[in-house]
Amino acid sequence: MSLSDTPLPRISRPWDAHRVTLALCLALVLPLLAAGLSRGAALLPPLLLALALTLAWQAVFARLRQRAMSWDGIESALVFALLVPAGVPLWQQGLALSFGLVMGALIFGARGRGFLSPAVVGLSFLLITFPGIGPLDLGGPVALAALPAGAGLIWLGLLSWRVVAGFGLGAALLALLLAGPAALAQGLTSPALMLGLVFLIGDPVAGASTRLGRWTYGLLGGALAALFALSAEATLGTMPLQAMVSAALLASIFAPLLDQLAIWQNLRHRNRRHKHG
Amino acid sequence: MSNPRLRTLTAPLIDENPITLQILGICSALAVTTSLATALTMSLALIAVLAGSSTAISLIRHHLPASIRLVVQITIIASLVIVADQFLRAFAFEMSQRLSIFVGLIVTNCVVLGRAESFALRNPVGASLLDAIGNGLGYSLILMLVALIREPLGSGSLFGWQVLPLASEGGWFQPLGFMLLAPSAFVLIGLLIWIIRSLRPEQVEADDYPILSSDSGEAGR
Repeated sequence: MSLSDTPLPRISRPWDAHRVTLALCLALVLPLLAAGLSRGAALLPPLLLALALTLAWQAVFARLRQRAMSWDGIESALVFALLVPAGVPLWQQGLALSFGLVMGALIFGARGRGFLSPAVVGLSFLLITFPGIGPLDLGGPVALAALPAGAGLIWLGLLSWRVVAGFGLGAALLALLLAGPAALAQGLTSPALMLGLVFLIGDPVAGASTRLGRWTYGLLGGALAALFALSAEATLGTMPLQAMVSAALLASIFAPLLDQLAIWQNLRHRNRRHKHG
Repeated sequence: MSNPRLRTLTAPLIDENPITLQILGICSALAVTTSLATALTMSLALIAVLAGSSTAISLIRHHLPASIRLVVQITIIASLVIVADQFLRAFAFEMSQRLSIFVGLIVTNCVVLGRAESFALRNPVGASLLDAIGNGLGYSLILMLVALIREPLGSGSLFGWQVLPLASEGGWFQPLGFMLLAPSAFVLIGLLIWIIRSLRPEQVEADDYPILSSDSGEAGR
């Protein structure tokens, strides 16, 4: 058999930061279009502000550190602009996004070196600092638009199905325990829950990265989100943005610990096998 | 700066600052810096306790058996803290209410025991007093800097004076609620440390787990 007969091994191009950014931005197109349909031109100023600020901060840090310009902040800016409720003054949005970008990613070196998602940090800052911000005013279509986006990201391997499954399981268990089975099905139509799951909790940098860690990370995020929502007298269907952002922040702070637990578990397992083998 | 006595006093201000270099005394720096008045009172109380304890411990350093030195040090510090606390209650009752337990908690402030252990036990009285005052001032400097950012941004005032008119009372200033929460002090102290270490790179610690460059990564295997 000659060499030319054998099929060439398919070597996929390795993921670099630009491809990850591109894929995440493409996944955001559908939710952004749906949000544009419901908000109209009011979506544009926050979006443009977020993009301009992001590029400015990344240019500043690229200069400071004498590195090539990175573009990954675009995704954070789009997620941030999508999830900020209408009516929040632009200067508050700009301040919060700047805090999120600098404290959540740039200060650690770049995206991928920190342990939090800049969008989550910015949204937390916004919601804690300026009380009285209204609920997320996006409708069911935006929540449904997150479905194909999430499916695409799972197919590409950027969103872990274990995180999603763990999240669903955690949220469902807690909702069953605290509110009964009626509360379950509405979750799919909540924009804060769906977008938050795909783009905040599912963030590839902030989440856990071991198999067991991803399950426990998803479980923790889901249980916290359901707990916060139900204790604010909301349901999974009317998931408040505050509940989702706080759950994402806490879960990603615990993600490195959950990974470490998974590694210890793996080590114990191997040691035991080694002894018996 | 060549005078060694002066150096004992000025080194802890920035070069060997207890908060930003040694990362000691963080807990009280988070708790009392929401306003300048509480930060200043806390700073004065700490300087008084630190100066007293370092002097006393330096005085008895030759008679102090090593095995019980921690017990004696804590006894001295705790006595001084009680005096400071009672003094505040007697002459500044409202302030002592606002500071609640944090003056009492100076006992557990690592700066005080840290200076006693690492300096006053080994040095004569004069140097120990200067070192104590220097460290107290270094601690106060950071506290006042953090409070100087947190009070105006969190409640629009300076030493209780309303300098920025609040939006809730018809003005234009929307206070940043985040600044009244403890995490903001973490962020501010972190930024201060970043600034100081950018200006003085000798303070930067070596990485525990340095990132290997692509060529050294191959060589390391």
